[in-house]
Amino acid sequence: MRDLFFLGFLACFLLGGFKRPFIFVLAYAYIDIVAPQRLSYFLLNAVPVSLIVFALAMLGYLLADQEKTHSRFAPRQWLLVILLGYCAYTTSTADFPLAAQDKWGWVWKALIFAIFLPLTLHKKLRIEALALIMVLCAASIAITGGIKTLASGGGYGVLQLLLDDNSGLYEGSIMSCIAIAIIPLILWLMKHGTIFPPDWRVKIFGAGLIFACLLIPVGTQARTGLVCIAVLVPLLLRFAKYRFVYAGLTVLVAIVTIPFLPQSFTQRMGTITDYKAEQSASTRVAVWAWTWEYAKDNPLGGGFNAFLQNKITVDMVETSENDSITSVDVTQAEEIGRAYHSSYFEMLGEQGFFGLAIWLAIHVGGLIRMEMVRRRYSHTINPGEQWIAPLATALQNGQIIYLVGSLFVGIAFQPFIYMLIATQIGLDTYLARRRAEAAWRPIRKVRTVPAKA
Amino acid sequence: MVDNFSLLISHGLIAIAIWRLISRDDLDHEDAPEPDADAIGFHPRSPLRKPPRRGAGITDA
Repeated sequence: MRDLFFLGFLACFLLGGFKRPFIFVLAYAYIDIVAPQRLSYFLLNAVPVSLIVFALAMLGYLLADQEKTHSRFAPRQWLLVILLGYCAYTTSTADFPLAAQDKWGWVWKALIFAIFLPLTLHKKLRIEALALIMVLCAASIAITGGIKTLASGGGYGVLQLLLDDNSGLYEGSIMSCIAIAIIPLILWLMKHGTIFPPDWRVKIFGAGLIFACLLIPVGTQARTGLVCIAVLVPLLLRFAKYRFVYAGLTVLVAIVTIPFLPQSFTQRMGTITDYKAEQSASTRVAVWAWTWEYAKDNPLGGGFNAFLQNKITVDMVETSENDSITSVDVTQAEEIGRAYHSSYFEMLGEQGFFGLAIWLAIHVGGLIRMEMVRRRYSHTINPGEQWIAPLATALQNGQIIYLVGSLFVGIAFQPFIYMLIATQIGLDTYLARRRAEAAWRPIRKVRTVPAKA
Repeated sequence: MVDNFSLLISHGLIAIAIWRLISRDDLDHEDAPEPDADAIGFHPRSPLRKPPRRGAGITDA
């Protein structure tokens, strides 16, 4: 039944693409995020649906996009091209060629799509449509996670998000980070959306979705999510009119909420400060140290999944007090092939210093460009430009949350984030073109009056 | 049950969004922006700035 549902849905989606080719681009974004072929049991997972839709999106753009002369290639797209080329190089020289090929198999698609996507975003409505589809696709996972958390309280590695699979957005820590990162975008769509113009239904759904997103870190008990929420709050308050009132209310809500949180959640969040006694956290620090040493020996990077060669031994220190006697237990834990658990170290270990520098340039460039756009349009009184500064802020906030969350999760190549970057580039190039169009004037002929005799 | 509900609501909204997008002309075509009063291009347009006098700078010989 579910197979038929997905098949019918996708068929309708693609039919829309034959009328408006940009819909193919949205269909690929949908497939990349929701991965319906993995949610279905037999029909869709038998065909390379992702490849077919990508080809349709590309052909649709090349053959049927009437105004593709409006597309611009931004410097950050060149950086993505360089990153793609460099990843191809490190894959060819990888320490673990087979494992590297495995990851390369999906990374190149994410990068190619991120390079291609901004070319198609040359209309305001297209930018909004992509933002909406990204949010609604993430919503399909967030809503189920939110409801399950409310019903059962969730648990680390227990909460199942549609799919019992630790890949894509279906992994708890990744979804915790992404769910919080999209909240600024949800707020923007609630206020400036034109596909679903702001009304009471949009407000109710948006508020419910934000609540569901906030519940994801509770349900998955991923510490990253809590850190992301801690970053989200000051970001949202940055431009709020009554920021001190909202800050006070936020603290109040946090205090009131704590007793209602599952005990397992508060216990796990307590390990953020006591990382020495917790194996997951302390081996993570040891892996980062290993990666730094590895990168010094292999500055060009070890290729994808180079972490497989690490062997970590950590001393876990647990202090307990009993009748004024403090006892310290030291136990040793050993792990082999421990993943990076940090996007920064993932880039450093796999792509070396050069790859990390490119990756950072892409992200820092995004933060700077969005700040420039925000400043340029924040004081405009033109009613047609009111949506711009808030969107730039939302995209920037989402990226900051991702960059903080990815300190603790290895999501350097997460396709969803590359779509966010592509949206930033699309917005930036769109505005640059519109400014140029507005400033352009044909050279007028100087009219000369014939001299009277 | 919960999964199906979540899929139904999100996919329902995506379907409505696509349906609305198909009928929107501005998905593929936008009108040219209003020309800048001073045609600078690289600086933010200041709506408070007085537009140049019509015909200023053009001299009839």
